[in-house]
Amino acid sequence: MGASREMAVQQVHELIYESCLTLNAEKWNDYLDLCDKAVFNYSIVNYSPEIRRDQCWMERDYKGLKSIFDLLPKHNSDRSQLTRHATVYRVGFDPEQNVANALTLVTIYRTQLDGINSHFESGATSLFAVGKYMDVIGLDAGKANLKKRVVALDTRQVDIGSHYPL
Amino acid sequence: MSSQSAAAEAQAADNGKQSKQGRARNLAEWSQRPNLPGTHYLDTRVYTDPAIYDEEIDKIWNKVWLPICHESELSAPLDFRTSGVAGTKPIVVVRGADNKIRSFLNVCPHRGNIVMRAPAGNLGEGSPSGNPRNMTCMFHGWQFDATGRCVEIPREKAGYQDRLCKAQMGLRELRTEVAHGGFVWVNLDDNCGPLADFTGNAFDFMATELDTVPLEVFHYQKAVVRTNFKLWHETSREFYHDYLHYHNRATGMLQKGYFDRKYTAFPNGHAATGLTSITYDAYEGAKDRGLTFPGMPLNGWKQLNIFPGCTYSLRASCLRVSVMTPISTDKVLIEIRGFGLKEDTPEERRERILDHDTIWGPFGRNLHEDLLVVQNQSIAMREGSGSKYLVMAREENNTIHDEIGLRSYYEEWSRLMGRLACDPSRRSDE
Repeated sequence: MGASREMAVQQVHELIYESCLTLNAEKWNDYLDLCDKAVFNYSIVNYSPEIRRDQCWMERDYKGLKSIFDLLPKHNSDRSQLTRHATVYRVGFDPEQNVANALTLVTIYRTQLDGINSHFESGATSLFAVGKYMDVIGLDAGKANLKKRVVALDTRQVDIGSHYPL
Repeated sequence: MSSQSAAAEAQAADNGKQSKQGRARNLAEWSQRPNLPGTHYLDTRVYTDPAIYDEEIDKIWNKVWLPICHESELSAPLDFRTSGVAGTKPIVVVRGADNKIRSFLNVCPHRGNIVMRAPAGNLGEGSPSGNPRNMTCMFHGWQFDATGRCVEIPREKAGYQDRLCKAQMGLRELRTEVAHGGFVWVNLDDNCGPLADFTGNAFDFMATELDTVPLEVFHYQKAVVRTNFKLWHETSREFYHDYLHYHNRATGMLQKGYFDRKYTAFPNGHAATGLTSITYDAYEGAKDRGLTFPGMPLNGWKQLNIFPGCTYSLRASCLRVSVMTPISTDKVLIEIRGFGLKEDTPEERRERILDHDTIWGPFGRNLHEDLLVVQNQSIAMREGSGSKYLVMAREENNTIHDEIGLRSYYEEWSRLMGRLACDPSRRSDE
């Protein structure tokens, strides 16, 4: 069981870091390839002390997320790059179900391109958001895939927002 | 014909061609006022001049009714909510033990400290230096009850003898009313008329949706955006910019009846766009809205802009209300709330939230595009940039792309400011 758990933890780490790399590179289809098409659910949530409620700012299944990616070329977006720096802090593994739960702290930076006054600001990097990934990861057939990702933000002011998932 | 006169004729013909086809302009041409009535264009100094901004705070924001939060944010007795209006004035809103909602300047009369610091809470929770049920200034422990009375001054007699007492030191209370879907409205002018006089009949076409059953907030976001407050509000007042939004083009502009949508201007600068039907499923991955508000047809959309900086937008299943607090000529705090019905089941609420976030969430499709534009506008027309005039001259029989919403805003702006928006150095009564 020990080796199996170690292997699972290794697979979880690799999947989470790969998910950051694909998003950072805006390789949307590569990101979707990491997700379980049948059950994947993605959401961005936070707690608002202003209205004293948990709130959800985005929720999509696999198909919905794919639509967002497919339609990006039709939208006017701030095309500044978002860079996700992640550290996996905790992995729980259920060998019976072949499912892992992972807690990852994530910091997201924005490097300006054309969001505002590119003459002055393009190339400048600033902090965009901090929060956590709370992932459910399937480990069937030796391949890890994302079944669920909750992006729990600590940051509640995200400037002009983004068309990209975090 | 001599070769010289032929050349002159050719040049004249070329000039004529240019005037029809147009060309880039030199500085003198760029600086000319548009050949339009003064009501149909703006001088960009209305966005950039610090003196005009100060005057706007004084003559507009300090005088009109402003929505600042929703009653569902203070649902229990002694709940409070801090906010701010009109530039940098801090406000605290409190629901009293008598269930009445009151608002106060959130400033201690002793040494000017902020009294309530948290965004929201309940006075029953107490604080490290004060008794539960009161608002306590942590600096010297002065306490105020939920009606604004000063109820505690530590060592009052020892320090002030008979020269000053609690009875004289209450908080500054603001005119407060709860209306139009349960919003808390305040007015800094003690001598203002009632809220109903200010809003007039602007809300009539949305009253059934807003006031049949209680609403409840489910979404709150804010951002300090680098733009002038009017530019942000103007994006809600003109729909010609639907060209910016792929979502609106697909679900609205390309659909039958879109261009028939009526635009109505009301007294005091308010303006509304009437009911239209949106084809939500024309946006790939979306679906028709299954929920609505009382009295609202499925997939309907109505919008009301309240002068000088609030928008109620009711899109079938959810209501978005945006309010703003101007900070400077090129900075504004924007607060956006999403609402459903208080009686929603959890499933209904989830559906409303999904619908809301698709368009208006910080990761939605439209809000990001609007914010991108207003920031870039602000960059392009900052003082000294060379920008001169903006036009608001579309006339389309008061339908959706008519810029009557902008013109009615500046008509009211000019009335209150005593300045012409097309030339703010001139008085409007000249």
